[in-house]
Amino acid sequence: MTTRYNSDLHRFGTLALLLVTLVACGRPSDNGDGGSRQVIQNKGSDTLVNVAQAWAEEYKTVKPEVAVAVTGGGSGTGISALINGTVDLASSSRQIKASEKQQAQKNGVEPKEHIVGFDALAIFLHPDNPIEEMSLQQLAAIYGEGGTIDSWSQLGVSVPGCGSDEIVRVSRQNNSGTYAYFKQAVLGKGMEYKLGSRDLHGSKDVVDLVEHTPCAIGYSGLAYANEGVKVPCVRRQDGGECVAPSVASALDKSYAIARPLFMYTAGEPQGEVAEYLQWILSHDGQCILFEKGYAPVLTVTCS
Amino acid sequence: MFETTDLNQRNRQVESRVKTLFLLMTLLLILPVLVILTMLVIKGGPMLSIDFLFTEPTQGMTAGGILPALVGTVWLVVVALLASVPFGVAAALYLSEYAADNWLTRIINLAIINLAGVPSIVHALFGVGAFVLFFRFGTSILAASLTLAVMTLPVVIVSTREALQAVPHAFREACWNMGATRWQTIRRVVLPNSISGILTGVILEVSRTAGETAPIMFTGAAFYLPFLPQSVYDQTMAMSLHLFVISTQVPDVPEGLPYGVALVLIGMVLSMNALSIAFRTYLRGKKKW
Repeated sequence: MTTRYNSDLHRFGTLALLLVTLVACGRPSDNGDGGSRQVIQNKGSDTLVNVAQAWAEEYKTVKPEVAVAVTGGGSGTGISALINGTVDLASSSRQIKASEKQQAQKNGVEPKEHIVGFDALAIFLHPDNPIEEMSLQQLAAIYGEGGTIDSWSQLGVSVPGCGSDEIVRVSRQNNSGTYAYFKQAVLGKGMEYKLGSRDLHGSKDVVDLVEHTPCAIGYSGLAYANEGVKVPCVRRQDGGECVAPSVASALDKSYAIARPLFMYTAGEPQGEVAEYLQWILSHDGQCILFEKGYAPVLTVTCS
Repeated sequence: MFETTDLNQRNRQVESRVKTLFLLMTLLLILPVLVILTMLVIKGGPMLSIDFLFTEPTQGMTAGGILPALVGTVWLVVVALLASVPFGVAAALYLSEYAADNWLTRIINLAIINLAGVPSIVHALFGVGAFVLFFRFGTSILAASLTLAVMTLPVVIVSTREALQAVPHAFREACWNMGATRWQTIRRVVLPNSISGILTGVILEVSRTAGETAPIMFTGAAFYLPFLPQSVYDQTMAMSLHLFVISTQVPDVPEGLPYGVALVLIGMVLSMNALSIAFRTYLRGKKKW
């Protein structure tokens, strides 16, 4: 009897062993040098995360012994990880705040800023929306606290499919750099958003929602625009020239809501991190950024 | 014979209506599962190939395979199991075989039940505070797996305890009467007779662990990694997070890709469950009562 029971237990043991072997099998073979591989941790902005991913993917062919791990979560997430010392590079679509800088210094971290590209913030409308032009004042009155525009008829249009006439405001969650930049550039310093907007967790979500909601207006990086949404041009002042968002208009600053994109390092970048940043700012790195729909920091001619 | 009275007839009618209603509700319950599976197979099926499983994602994760995510999920599950099963089974053994029914035991039981009810995102924050920052594991497989282990411990404890208590008490008494100690009884009688139930619980835990997203998002899973994890201190990609990322964050993903990933994930979970059922049937056939 006992031997039989024991054999059951032994089987259990064998199973456990099998599991352990599975762990061993999970070990990859593509990277023979194992221990010498260096990992650069890059975390932050959801706007930049797809460019960061493309950089990491390409850098694998440039320098196979260095691996770049990319995580999103929002500009705020990246910067706080830099403050906590858990990442090498924090990508951010807004400038670091004074309070964050102080906290970093308290932790013995001196954040160093690097501009890695520019981004035009596009306004998104449903394709059936007749509006072709908007001004910063109108946007502020739609999005800003105390703003008076709540319905499409106040803008002189009626939107087919939008029976309620109400402007459905689509925005981002408050640790997003896009959220922070739009607030500063469109609403003005110290202004708050009007309550009742739909705050979504990603640029892609914003575009998806606007695409399917005739009443909606949204904003996000131009790189996320697709054929399903309309992108109006934006006037700096009422009566001023109406400029369409593009890589060129972001670069020559004629477009009103274009912003620099940042990477922050703890102190002056060293070793592999410095080399990686240098590559990002090189012609090759900037071409990848350009292909993703952002404006590069230098003139590039990409294939 | 008896005449059917009006009352009788009415009762019978009500009876059959109630039965139909309940049947419909049951069918309604199965419907979403069927719809999901069919959708996944139709839309994701064409994506599946050996290459899809065993190559890395390319072109900004809009093409290529899912190897790093697949391997990552296996790592996460295995490490989580290694951490939670010994603790869970030991705790269940103590609670079922040794603990007296006093206030301490009752508090422990209450704590376990409450732990099972904690939302996974709260476990995620606990994981960040405890494993990533306090123990300084960083964002790594270790931190993520331990978070998953803490989250699934109550499941293991409860299912193990149930399996142990399903062993008839008379078996233990017979053993004690032969002069065996508690441990000898556990080792020779209780464990062999409850191993099928314990394994079932463990395998169910695997399927839950493989599908969780929130607990690993902040503790160890990455948006993109150009390498496969090589130790528990590495970050990793994971199937669940990869699915989330390509369906909400990455532009221009071909429509079939997220369905393909979901199909592989659900396939993993379902085959685990099937394995669990097969095991249980096999071991139950050897039961002595």
